[in-house]
Amino acid sequence: MSGPLAGLRVVERCGALGQYAGKLLADMGADVVKVEPPGGSAARAIGPFVDDVPGPDRSLNFWYFNTNKRSVVVDFAEQDGVATWRELAAAADVVIEDGKPGELDRLGAGYRAVAPQAPGLIWCAMTPFGQDGPWAEYEATDMVALALGGAMMMNGYDPEDAEEAPPIRGHGDQGYLTACHYAVQGILAALLWRDRTGEGQFIDCSAHEAISSTTEVALPYWFTQRVNVIRQTVRHAAATRTERWLYRAGDGRWVLVFGVGRDNASWKRIKEWFQSEGFGLQFDEPRFDDPLNRQAARGSPEAAEIFAELGRFIAAHTAEEVYRGGQERRQAWGIVRSPEEALFDPHWDDRGFWAEVEGEGRDGRPVRMPGAPYRFGATPWELRRPAPKLGEHTGEVLAEWLGRET
Amino acid sequence: MTELPLSGIRVCDLTWVIAGPTATRILADFGAEVIRVEHGQAADPIRFGRPIAGERPTLNNSGFFNYFNRNKKSVLLNVRHPMGMEVLQRLIRVSDVVIENFSSGVLESWGLDYAAQRAINPGIIYCSISGFGHTGRDRHYTTWGPTAQALSGLTLMSGLPGKPPAGWGYSYLDHTAGYYAAIAIMMALHHRNMTGEGQAIDIAQVETGMVLAGPAVLDFTVNGRSWLREGMPPGNRAWEPAMAPHNTYRCAGEDRWVAIAVRNDAEWEALRRAMGEPAWAADARFATAAGRLAHQDELDRGIGAWTQERDAYQVMATLQTAGVPAGVCQTAGDRVERDPQLAARGWWTTMPHPELGDAGIDGVAPRLSKTPGTNRTASPLMGEHTYEVMTAMLGMSAEEYAELEAQGVFM
Repeated sequence: MSGPLAGLRVVERCGALGQYAGKLLADMGADVVKVEPPGGSAARAIGPFVDDVPGPDRSLNFWYFNTNKRSVVVDFAEQDGVATWRELAAAADVVIEDGKPGELDRLGAGYRAVAPQAPGLIWCAMTPFGQDGPWAEYEATDMVALALGGAMMMNGYDPEDAEEAPPIRGHGDQGYLTACHYAVQGILAALLWRDRTGEGQFIDCSAHEAISSTTEVALPYWFTQRVNVIRQTVRHAAATRTERWLYRAGDGRWVLVFGVGRDNASWKRIKEWFQSEGFGLQFDEPRFDDPLNRQAARGSPEAAEIFAELGRFIAAHTAEEVYRGGQERRQAWGIVRSPEEALFDPHWDDRGFWAEVEGEGRDGRPVRMPGAPYRFGATPWELRRPAPKLGEHTGEVLAEWLGRET
Repeated sequence: MTELPLSGIRVCDLTWVIAGPTATRILADFGAEVIRVEHGQAADPIRFGRPIAGERPTLNNSGFFNYFNRNKKSVLLNVRHPMGMEVLQRLIRVSDVVIENFSSGVLESWGLDYAAQRAINPGIIYCSISGFGHTGRDRHYTTWGPTAQALSGLTLMSGLPGKPPAGWGYSYLDHTAGYYAAIAIMMALHHRNMTGEGQAIDIAQVETGMVLAGPAVLDFTVNGRSWLREGMPPGNRAWEPAMAPHNTYRCAGEDRWVAIAVRNDAEWEALRRAMGEPAWAADARFATAAGRLAHQDELDRGIGAWTQERDAYQVMATLQTAGVPAGVCQTAGDRVERDPQLAARGWWTTMPHPELGDAGIDGVAPRLSKTPGTNRTASPLMGEHTYEVMTAMLGMSAEEYAELEAQGVFM
């Protein structure tokens, strides 16, 4: 079996902004060639590094975001470098690049220079703000993109958790990853168009527009009521304050609990659980029977008592006990984990989620990293090769794609 | 009608809430015919979701629902009625894609697992989004977006050091699980174009968050380092790549902030000049990246003193003109009313809706030069297209429709 994109040739010239788009295609079978300058893609300089020692083949960021790709070094400072790039692009089905608007055009290496020889070519240009407009030349990092796109203004704290707190950026380059999710949607839509017509096209992917499209209830509130939502600790930004979801368990870890007893069936399950351990003995009183009395938003004394008891119950248990106990009673409760803690949850082993890679400085000892975001029955995600060393495949690809002798 | 990349693709859309409807919004934007199958006794809660126009929810006045369900059709179908289930099977027979985001096991309990769907329609592409997927010991567990964010590590990676996690102020992973579903379906459609073969796709929402934290996992598996350590998460300071200054700074006005990132010495020089070369910034300790990283508290105090008397957009313009990455923390209102970039690119529009009026909506990202995604219709009213779909698409006669309606199939 091979991935659904087997046979698709992709050229990628990307750093931190666009590299994940290439990975998403490569992991599903596309032949993705990463074109790098002689000093390597800027992403090779992003830490953390193996044993904290920098080096072009030691970036763990690069290891993760460049699986299944091949690396070809092309020097744009040389005249034949630009020509080689144009030939590679014309031989590809898809080009992904994250240069500044017009940067490649000025070198004679942009879409306009290549498209006439390649009518079926899909060219996706990823930029912070798009190819045109007053901010087209502006600089951005992931944080700046998340600020302008509206994501940050939704994340933060209730005043009682952190007074005067700023909007908060979730880490992990989530703005860039969101831009890549949109880039790949556009590339695949264009590919389906090409399947029918043979026609290629240009795709203008703005991270700003992608992030702005990923802010859930914020835009509907503005469109419908001209209201800006307010930030709340670990829960949805809203027009007015809502009940808390975050509780500290007995082992000091945080759990997410979305209220209790909205409906009678779940109230019964939670009540029995609490009472079996000596909590909430008063819950048998008839005043707790009415679901309306149990809703915090209505400010009833019963709701206040339930929440106080919930806090006591959680403080008397570990976070893991609260999480699993809630889930076993059909509550979508969660535990706030560090990313690597999922390695110790056997459910993900059951699903074969983790991929194993080897790399520089590891002496052949493979390590785990996240695998597939989706499970395809017929054409599965597959790790065929780790991220390439700088220039590892230059000769191989130039021979294979362009017929050049090495 | 203009031909779009997914014109002619029909989607039997059994999804609700946010994750599934996000996926089908993307397919619909690019031209797929998306038919929402809805049931009055188990209505999509987002049809009641605030914000709404007016005082009380009507099923058809939610701006929240409208945002995620443009360009789609809606049919009412009682799948708990035997004839309703038969109608659903007829719809699957003429569809290219079936998508649902129920808890795992629900479609199986309807007798409509992938094998059953394939027996009805051999080329079908079946996409399921659930919390934990269809395999594994915890597959019966369930998630909301924030549950998946917490379990995958993304919640912990957002916050100030020494404080509780701040997490995400919305269901980021509902969006993201929807993006992966749309991507998976389009990949499967391409594979079907090449081979004629359909397939089943199993998406676990928690996994769509775990793949967004790859470098953090590798820092543990290679270097043994966890995000559960002193000083982490680092607030709005940089994790990797390390750089300073890198933070949000208060500006003049109520809850106004600007994000500023300095990636190298040249940008620091530019920032220093843009601030008018204040005496504190001339300190030699700030001349190198290592020095700036070691003295972030002083840097942030100095920069904050400069920004707090200034308008956030002015700070952004001054710094961007000097070549320093800077951006206002924009609200939704800012994006719609003030953002010159989105305005210049024609990002906002309105579409008429019977209960919401001229409802605001955004454009389709990314922009395809020949076949851009389009805004064609606002979200459908509950059951708006039942008659049209049953007759024109499934070939029911008016009499058959009336008979099934009388039996309570279309409710």
